[in-house]
Amino acid sequence: MIRVEGLKKNFGSLEVLKGIDYEIHPGEKIVVVGPSGSGKSTFLRCLNLLETPTEGSIWFDNVLITDKRIKIDPVRRHMGMVFQHFNLFNNLTILKNLTLAPVKLKLQTKQEAEENAMRLLERVGLADKAHAYPSQLSGGQKQRIAIVRSLAMNPKVMLFDEPTSALDPELVGEVLDVMKGLAEEGMTMVVVTHEMGFAREVGTRVLFMDEGRILEEKPPREFFENPGHPRLKEFLSKVL
Amino acid sequence: MILDVSGNMEGAVMQWFDTVKTDFISSFITGDRWRMFLQGLGVTLRVTFISALLGLALGILLAFMKISKKSNGKRTVFSFIAGIYIDVIRGTPVVVQLMILYFAVLASVNNKMLVGSIAFGMNSGAYVAEIIRSGIQSIDRGQAEAGRSLGLSSRRTMQYIIIPQAFKNVLPTLGNEFIVLMKETAVLGYVGLMDLMKTGSYVVSKTYRAFMPLIGTAVIYFVVIKIFSLLLARLERRLQKNDSR
Ligand SMILES: Nc1ncnc2c1ncn2[C@@H]1O[C@H](COP(=O)(O)OP(=O)(O)O)[C@@H](O)[C@H]1O
Ligand SMILES: [Mg+2]
Repeated sequence: MIRVEGLKKNFGSLEVLKGIDYEIHPGEKIVVVGPSGSGKSTFLRCLNLLETPTEGSIWFDNVLITDKRIKIDPVRRHMGMVFQHFNLFNNLTILKNLTLAPVKLKLQTKQEAEENAMRLLERVGLADKAHAYPSQLSGGQKQRIAIVRSLAMNPKVMLFDEPTSALDPELVGEVLDVMKGLAEEGMTMVVVTHEMGFAREVGTRVLFMDEGRILEEKPPREFFENPGHPRLKEFLSKVL
Repeated sequence: MILDVSGNMEGAVMQWFDTVKTDFISSFITGDRWRMFLQGLGVTLRVTFISALLGLALGILLAFMKISKKSNGKRTVFSFIAGIYIDVIRGTPVVVQLMILYFAVLASVNNKMLVGSIAFGMNSGAYVAEIIRSGIQSIDRGQAEAGRSLGLSSRRTMQYIIIPQAFKNVLPTLGNEFIVLMKETAVLGYVGLMDLMKTGSYVVSKTYRAFMPLIGTAVIYFVVIKIFSLLLARLERRLQKNDSR
């Protein structure tokens, strides 16, 4: 579904990604872990070209999206993204947050989009907030809304960048539950997280990134029980 | 004795009142001078409104020019032009700009009010541009990224997400710019326009009394500006209520 070859990314003279090759298949739940500053976010943001790769190729559904001639906006419709800081549109109600893109991009009529949005809000237990503004919600509620805002576009893959890192501990569970539900439905997911429990339980494969490289890549059982790379051992001893 | 003193006091106060009354009459009543003040205020208000509109239009244009970037992240030629324009306007006194425009650049245009409005519009545009630019850039980058990640184009993201938030944030500052603009138009007399200030000094030259016409001028400016700032505060409160964020 997504294939990455020789991906490099520099910010000025800083080499953040130093050559990444990876392939993500439909239905997989890839969990990315690694120390802060290792390039996890940058890797994720390259997948939907929020960051422009310095070198390398990315294919999405067999289309080379790093090709300069590709229009990226239509591609991004199929790739949902959830951010650490939610990034709900502050000037719009929750309902409008969900319907803005499908309506403005003429994928659905206003009525279709609103019906769909209400279904999604009910699914995360927030239908009563449809006419509230983001500032009136808790962090956990905001993140659940952010997830269904992406789902309103019927994406083929969902990218999560530390979706629970900005939340108070008691609110983490409600967001992870939504993500688990999504995983069970068969959504293809790439999740950057520090929640090792989630990685173990939901991940089909776990990646360890350090200093711009993927140092280890295994199914979760092996990843946690039999880490190979010394850097991974060191990392796991700190976080577990 | 005591009665005498108070009698003298009373006399002095009465005398003072008489002078003030004579002053007031010669400044505002004689020859229907209050009409001149009203006309002067009309000129001030018209130039202020026209130049505020010009300034807003120019400011929006300049702001977008200034933040425009090439796909490789470098500034465009438009960005440079806007930057230089804003720099020059903000780095020179408005009265100099007004006189250059009136006596040199637009010397062939006979309509003083028009030239005055263009001069102040060009001046205000530079300040409005900076207000709008900083308003747009103060919106968290995550807002734009969320829009783009949903497949919205950068133009649509601007239109539906960034601009509405930025506009609301800068409205108080724009209102303040309007008030500053009105006060700055007091130099219109330099190009022979009979605005409120010029009317005040004309009456001084006729009555040979400085106090009353100038205080009158100040009071009129103050009252008008107070009205605008109260209206502005109300508008702000209404917007705040519209969506509680
Ligand atoms: N827009 C940017 N400009 C400059 N440096 C950046 C930018 N984004 C990230 N970096 C740098 O790239 C490195 C990797 O960042 P990031 O991908 O966010 O790491 P992680 O998500 O693993 O914590 C860090 O050193 C960070 O400071
Ligand atoms: Mg990160």
